[in-house]
Amino acid sequence: MSPVLAAGGLRVRAGEAMLIDIGHLALERGRGYLVSGENGAGKTTLLRALAGLEPVEAERFAFYGKPTRLLPYPGAMRRQIAFVHHHPYVFDGSVGDNLAYGLRAAGVNQKEIAEKVSDAAAWAGIGHLEKRNAKSLSAGERQRLALARAHVLGPDLYLLDEPTANLDADGRRLVMSLIEAIAREGRTLLIACHDRELLALPGVERLHLVKGRLEG
Amino acid sequence: MDLLQTTSEALRLLASLDPTLWGIVWVSLKVSIGALLLISPAAIAAGYLLASHRFPGRRFLIVLTQALFAFPTVVVGLLLYMMLSRQGPFGSMQLLFTQAAMVIGQMVIAAPILVAFTLSAVQGADPRARETAIVLGAGRLRTAWTLLREVRFAVMAAVFNGFGRVISEIGCALMVGGNIAGLTRNIPTAIALETTKGEFAQGVALGIVLMVLALGVNFAMAWLQGGGARR
Repeated sequence: MSPVLAAGGLRVRAGEAMLIDIGHLALERGRGYLVSGENGAGKTTLLRALAGLEPVEAERFAFYGKPTRLLPYPGAMRRQIAFVHHHPYVFDGSVGDNLAYGLRAAGVNQKEIAEKVSDAAAWAGIGHLEKRNAKSLSAGERQRLALARAHVLGPDLYLLDEPTANLDADGRRLVMSLIEAIAREGRTLLIACHDRELLALPGVERLHLVKGRLEG
Repeated sequence: MDLLQTTSEALRLLASLDPTLWGIVWVSLKVSIGALLLISPAAIAAGYLLASHRFPGRRFLIVLTQALFAFPTVVVGLLLYMMLSRQGPFGSMQLLFTQAAMVIGQMVIAAPILVAFTLSAVQGADPRARETAIVLGAGRLRTAWTLLREVRFAVMAAVFNGFGRVISEIGCALMVGGNIAGLTRNIPTAIALETTKGEFAQGVALGIVLMVLALGVNFAMAWLQGGGARR
């Protein structure tokens, strides 16, 4: 079975500087990958590049085995890849509106949206907050909302940037349980993280970045 | 001129719902609100595009917008007069000395304010807002709408600011409107005329209306900015 994505000669530049220079990267289906590295090693940049938020060049790139160009960022990848910021942004509106955002963009009908939003809120344990303005949520609730907002779209690959950083113990536990649930669904996870707890995820593999290059 | 007597006469005129006076207020509101309704969508879209897209000439357009910001309204009136006068390129449309000409003039005056404020609002938006919209699958239009919605308080402040500028401008309204009673006479042109005629009471009454409108706009902007800051 082809990996979700396989890249060769993956590079992200900022002027003269090379932020990411990876000879080979393959993310197998249903696996968890933990990207570790010092601050500034390129963890976030790698995730952003794969999410189409940074201009990236690749000598070879295949998405589900199909050779793919990354510029412009392909719609098929956009639909199958979720990216969640380190500090997720929530739109100024209700939690329900935030959960519905991607579904509306995908043209899902109103009735289906209502059902999916309700399920997604329950999945993330924020069902009781559905009508609340998302801007009033705590950091942990925002992180769970962001995960649910991505999960409701049913992507295959999740790119999560430090999902448990800066959360209190309860917040971390709740976010961890959602990430574990995503892993149990057989989705692929690429997580930039310092958190050793995440290493306990089933089938997790560690990728160590040093100055934009994969080591070990 | 007895200031106290003039002011009390002005208040009496306002309270008696003097049709001439309130007709002038109505012309002002109709022209200025009409101009803003017509120019706002295009100017806000232009501000958004300048803020979020890189293209050749962008820098020049931003500098031009900022330069037009301080363009004297009487010069706008003069240029428009030359274009709409009988010998001008649009003379056949017979728009000179009509409310339509005043609306066009006020659209030209308000446009740079709306563009520049929207540009600044969108540039000041959290970059994660755009990225979040994109990764959730929003197309260009939905992303633009989302971003403008996120900075809506600043955009609304831009519209109020534009209103504050056009409702009180006199140069262009006088040039292309002609200050015709019952047709193109608005608050600022009427104040100027009444004062030169020595009819201070009506001038003061209209001045009070203009002040109330200006204060209202400022309160609205303060409220909007407070609303923005709370988020």
